Amino acid sequence: MASRAHLWFVAPALILMVLILLLPIALAGALSFTDYSLGNSGASFVGTENYERIFTRSTYEKMFIATFRYVGVVVPLSVGLGLGAALLIHSLTRFGALYKTIYFLPVMAALIAMAIVWEFALHPTIGIVNATLERGCGTFLEAWPWYAKGCDRTFPLWLTDRDYAIWTVAFIGVWQAFGFNMVLYLAGLTSIPRALYHAAEMDGATSGWDRFRLVTWPMLGPTTVFVVTISIIRSFQVFDTVEAFYPQGGGPSKSVYVMMFAIYEKAIQQNLMGIGAAITMIFLVFVMVLTLIQRWLVERRTHYG
Amino acid sequence: MADVGQAAFRNAAPRAVDGASSGGFRFSTREAIKHAVLILGALIVLLPFYVMVSYSFKAPHEIMQNTGGFFGAQELFRDDFCIKLGNAEEDCMVRPLNYNYTTAFEKAPLIRYLANGVIVTVSIFLIQVLVALPCAYALAKLRFWGREAVFGLVLFCLLIPVHAIALPLYIMLAQLGLTNSYAALIIPWTISVFGIFLMRQFFMTVPDDLIDAARMDGMSEYSIVWNVMLPTAIPALLAFGIFSVVAHWNDYFWPRIVITGNRDLFTPPLGLREFKGDADGDNFGPMMATACIIVTPLIVAFLLAQRRFIEGITLSGMK
Amino acid sequence: MSAIALEGIEKSFGATRVLGGVDLDIRAGEFLTLVGPSGCGKSTLLRILAGLEAPDRGRVLIGGAEVTGLRAAARNLAMVFQSYALYPHLTVAENMMTPLKLRDLPRAARLPVLGPLLARDRYRALRAEVDRTARILKIEPLLDRKPGQLSGGQRQRAALGRAMVRNPVAFLMDEPLSNLDAALRVHMRAELSELHRRLGTTFVYVTHDQAEALTMSDRMAVMQDGAILQTGAPEEVYADPDSLDVARFVGSPAINILPGRIDGTGGLGALGTALGRFRTTDAQKVAIGLRPEHLSLAPAGASGFEGAVRHRENLGADVFLHVDVEGIDRPVVLRTTPTETRDLAIGAAVGIDADARAALVFDETGRRLRFEAAELVRIA
Repeated sequence: MASRAHLWFVAPALILMVLILLLPIALAGALSFTDYSLGNSGASFVGTENYERIFTRSTYEKMFIATFRYVGVVVPLSVGLGLGAALLIHSLTRFGALYKTIYFLPVMAALIAMAIVWEFALHPTIGIVNATLERGCGTFLEAWPWYAKGCDRTFPLWLTDRDYAIWTVAFIGVWQAFGFNMVLYLAGLTSIPRALYHAAEMDGATSGWDRFRLVTWPMLGPTTVFVVTISIIRSFQVFDTVEAFYPQGGGPSKSVYVMMFAIYEKAIQQNLMGIGAAITMIFLVFVMVLTLIQRWLVERRTHYG
Repeated sequence: MADVGQAAFRNAAPRAVDGASSGGFRFSTREAIKHAVLILGALIVLLPFYVMVSYSFKAPHEIMQNTGGFFGAQELFRDDFCIKLGNAEEDCMVRPLNYNYTTAFEKAPLIRYLANGVIVTVSIFLIQVLVALPCAYALAKLRFWGREAVFGLVLFCLLIPVHAIALPLYIMLAQLGLTNSYAALIIPWTISVFGIFLMRQFFMTVPDDLIDAARMDGMSEYSIVWNVMLPTAIPALLAFGIFSVVAHWNDYFWPRIVITGNRDLFTPPLGLREFKGDADGDNFGPMMATACIIVTPLIVAFLLAQRRFIEGITLSGMK
Repeated sequence: MSAIALEGIEKSFGATRVLGGVDLDIRAGEFLTLVGPSGCGKSTLLRILAGLEAPDRGRVLIGGAEVTGLRAAARNLAMVFQSYALYPHLTVAENMMTPLKLRDLPRAARLPVLGPLLARDRYRALRAEVDRTARILKIEPLLDRKPGQLSGGQRQRAALGRAMVRNPVAFLMDEPLSNLDAALRVHMRAELSELHRRLGTTFVYVTHDQAEALTMSDRMAVMQDGAILQTGAPEEVYADPDSLDVARFVGSPAINILPGRIDGTGGLGALGTALGRFRTTDAQKVAIGLRPEHLSLAPAGASGFEGAVRHRENLGADVFLHVDVEGIDRPVVLRTTPTETRDLAIGAAVGIDADARAALVFDETGRRLRFEAAELVRIA
């Protein structure tokens, strides 16, 4: 009866968890206080120098700015558009499934491939985006000053323009992510009992907005908490598009120098493991704190909500 | 949140939320506006797919001048590279569609890349199941000392995105001399704490009676895992499999770090990136063809089994 | 077929003591029911017997041999579970074949695909076993279906089939009928009894439903709070309970409990009515148990107790009359015939006569006070 089977069942997972997930964190933590680089036999302790550098040098200031700009654009837009699309699709009588399929396509496609395609589409001279915009010249659209300026001179260079680069990359992030959020919101919408809407109607919530405020939005609360957290974590991890567009240096004036790319550039390309490890640690703290906040919000809801 | 992921797929028939538009086929302005907005959105979403497919059909000059519509004119054009090799001009006239796709396969060992992609994703999934399933079973159905601690560890590890610890993992693999190998591509993903968590939640819903019945029938704990729990978990495993395969087929960051230079180990995303790296102005067509080839398997599978795919990809919503 | 003995079984889950030293002898070939309210430890006791749970202390013997440390599979017992526990991915036939395969076939022959090819004859023999059992249970048409396609009753039979197919030394059943609807449950009681007679194997049956215990078993063991209160044939337990708890648990409608006392001269009385006289002088408070069939209707104002009709529960052949009697919280229930009570309106005043010789007397701790029949003289 006293079976030892559980040891064999749990041990492999336990060993791998420690070796692959916990040990690296400890290693990164330790290396972040050194000037270690691969190939060197030893490393010397440099104290908090790496961290000091990250919080004082302008390169890393740019890194934080780029990362937070990216997250700050992608999260609200991808969540908002996801919710909007879900509400519209859910309210349709027909063709809802078709839109759902289309909006989900970017989630399935390899981002690196789509990034390369976007680079083409946004190419200043041969790209389809600017070619299409040029066709609108001479129409009512010119009433828009920005458009008129574009027709007058040239439309933006998008990815290579210092003022547009980070926003363009963020746009592609939104394009890729909002379908995922939409599907989660659709699931949330389907699970709202119809009776609640009927009750709201009886209570005098006659406009669509009233019903949204009274029933839909509160009922989607747990979904929103989850969607927002996973959007933040994923957009913090942006790398594929940045590396595809700017293999060196992180974009015009380092305006797209996001954290994952910084880790890659410092540690892998330049073999500065210490500084890379320090960025890794900061990154981990961000992500873990966020997830813990999410869990706390969810638990609070499930226990007292 | 547990039912969020599943509810998504019962959503086959979208219904009217606001009641105003339900019933009948009468034209409604409201409905028309909604469709207009959604169609505009769909056009933007589909734009890069359109560009990708269309360019993979076109000749270089059509791409440069933006002519030829969606399919291109499919007129013969001169392959300069072929001329360079000393062939006669009439032998070097090619159809754009043919040229783009044959070049995609000839210029780089694309088949090899695809095979690598399959090897890596399948190995990762199989090892994940091999490790996670018994652990999940033990956590859900066996009573043993330290079970709560192990489960607590699993919950903690759920906080760690593997991409974020790529650097120390890379250092460890480099010290072991394992970079530039299949092992490097696979090892970091062998443990899926999410898989353990997911399967454990699933196993909690399996009645204890079933396991007791198996024990009475004379099954060992090992055969309970593989002969009873595995078959009952097929739906959950399928969803997890899709989740895992999509993530690792499309992954670019990790292969980029551990595979440096050895083209024999390139996964499809790396192969495509390589293509871009040395693309001269003329090779847009073949590059788009490569992109199509890499993206198509998952897109086609998705279109065929949409419900299952959405279920798999949004699995993480079940936390 | 062998006798089973449980000796001094103790079991705790954490701080909760589930079984406190239980002894039980099960005779070879008998149908023994463990009955008790939920949480009394009956299922745990069965699981310890099955080998699915290890006792903290005590021994389990099957056919005289100790099996306490033996794995479930090695005890050659079969179990039918409340949820049936059929493997959802296997057909009924495959479900039934599983225990046979695991017991009779070598590892190589159990390989998927290859196994059935290598050991074709053996598989055929096993299939014949399955078919034979299926014929007894009349489930042959279901053999190729999966559990998901079966109704509750059909699943129940399939689960029985899986237990029967390997000729175990005993069948263990854990509330096997509780997931069936009422009509089917009554039907299955008869069928299980019939099956027991036919197989002649030991049945150990766990239920919280005293009616199942009374209708099917050769002997029943009434459990409460991790202990066996009384073991005996159903008639014996019903008519001659050892304690107030047993009397209360067995029988439906439940036994009427009247507060009473024995005075210094041995007079037994309840609610101001003298019921009889004991040859005892220990004055004490007692509880008097009277089953509905031992009470009868009397004209109001005559001897016995009086009360007002509260509810008339008509079961066709019998009518149970619920009567509010002053001094008791719960209405007194008595069995009457439809003709007797046809004209009785709710609220009507009635008299109740008691057959004092059938009264069960319990002391303040709930222990039964037994007296020679002659000692209790009816005077009421």
